[in-house]
Amino acid sequence: MSELNEQQVALISAYIKQHGIAQNELHDDLLDHVCTSIENQMDEGKSFEAAFEQTIKLFGPGGLKQVQQQTFELLTEMNENMKKVAFSFGLTSTFLLLAGTIFKLMHWYGAGVLIILGAGLLALVYLPMLLWHKLKESPRDESMMHISGFVGLTLTTIGVLFKIMHWPGAAVTLLSGMAILAALYVPLFYFKKYKSSANKSITLSTGLVAMTCFILVFGLMSVNRSTNFNRGILLVGADLEDSVDKAANNEALYSKLEGNQNAVALKATVNKSSTTLESFRLELISETEGISREDAKNAKVYLLNGQDNFDIPTHILFGGEGEFSANALITSLESFQTEILQVYKPEIRSEMAAILPFDFSKTYEMSGHETDWETYHFRHIPLSGVLSQLSKMQLDIRNAETQALLYLLSQSAVSESPSGDQGASEAQSL
Amino acid sequence: MYICLMYSNELIKGTLKTIVLSLLAKKGRMYGYEITQHVKEETDGKIQLTEGALYPLLHRLEAEGLLETEKENIGKRVRKYYRLTETGNDQATSLAAEFHEFSQTMNRLLNNFSLKPSYNV
Repeated sequence: MSELNEQQVALISAYIKQHGIAQNELHDDLLDHVCTSIENQMDEGKSFEAAFEQTIKLFGPGGLKQVQQQTFELLTEMNENMKKVAFSFGLTSTFLLLAGTIFKLMHWYGAGVLIILGAGLLALVYLPMLLWHKLKESPRDESMMHISGFVGLTLTTIGVLFKIMHWPGAAVTLLSGMAILAALYVPLFYFKKYKSSANKSITLSTGLVAMTCFILVFGLMSVNRSTNFNRGILLVGADLEDSVDKAANNEALYSKLEGNQNAVALKATVNKSSTTLESFRLELISETEGISREDAKNAKVYLLNGQDNFDIPTHILFGGEGEFSANALITSLESFQTEILQVYKPEIRSEMAAILPFDFSKTYEMSGHETDWETYHFRHIPLSGVLSQLSKMQLDIRNAETQALLYLLSQSAVSESPSGDQGASEAQSL
Repeated sequence: MYICLMYSNELIKGTLKTIVLSLLAKKGRMYGYEITQHVKEETDGKIQLTEGALYPLLHRLEAEGLLETEKENIGKRVRKYYRLTETGNDQATSLAAEFHEFSQTMNRLLNNFSLKPSYNV
């Protein structure tokens, strides 16, 4: 019985390692197998070289590597329980997302919670589990595909979640997720499919159809409003702006009240509020469009790209307690109302207070539940709507100003008349 | 690809585990090459296990706790002997019994089918 020498065993061992057998146990098995096979053939009179060649041939076309691949697959096959757990996580998150979407469309309570849970489960539990499984069971040259698919899908899911919840950073996350999917995963996936499929032209056309659908969906998402409908809404905003400009044309009235302290105070308070509203307008436009304040000043609302964006306006107004928060706006308008009342004589202030434009204590009904003033007027309202609201407030202020001016004029007319009583009261209020 | 020649892959794929376990039940302990040679001889070369089918299966059965290994040094290399564990022994018995019954059932069934035409003539 022939026995291989050290050198020959080392040669075979090196050959096995060189052909990608990394696992020690398997290496030992195969080394013994190949050596014994060669020894037996040498007993029948074959040379070492011929016996070696003959034995290697028996491993089949996939060679040694395939042995390892199959061992790997058999050893790491997901067991039944894990499959069930993964499946139930996937099912739960799909169900939650579906329910959340329906709730959202119907404006029912709890949509946000459902969507957060669903997307969270999908991105943080199910997708990692899926990736782990995929990486374990597929060959190494596919891992790039699976990782890019995982990263792309996770980012897209988180991006959609942020978008729906109007959290900051949604656009960047969503875009990078979709870019990874489009630029890496989809090409890799179809390249792989294309290479391994029997009918290449069918695979190719299926891929193209899928891509086209994908593109169409996103194309349609961005043009879901009719142009005429849009123009109708923007027209209201533009007309309001015209009215504000016209109502601000009150210099002639002020000039008739020269030397009147009340008129000076009135002008100051109106200017202050008007400037505040204008600065909100500029901030919203410049932030949403990503342009400077200077450019925002000259911008036409109907030309703005972000006219239907409500993420950024909502984020600016409700994202904190800064200079441009909804609460800061309320504070400013409240002080305007308090100050303008001072123009009137004390006896009629409570009557005038009742007809002031802004009532922040009132609750508003919105899709079945009650909200406060700022939510009702600004939350999730697109930029064009928010700007129209601001113009309307400007006009309210101007109207209140005109009212007060006419009152002051009538008062001064009375004080110039000879009637002593009213003259005295006018002098008092001055 | 799994097993060479004579019988179709579909037919033999499901019986590979039965073959290996029964063989080990009979022989006690064996190493990989020995198993392939033994199956080849016993079946007059009609069933030839390939390395690509045998070693993955052995490793899996070991991971499942049906087999255990002992190593022996043969010159410069290590030889791994596989033997049945207690659970492996139980499995071997039940798999062999199951296959036996299955082949009897198949025989009966196929005999019925093939007899019919000859009666009709």
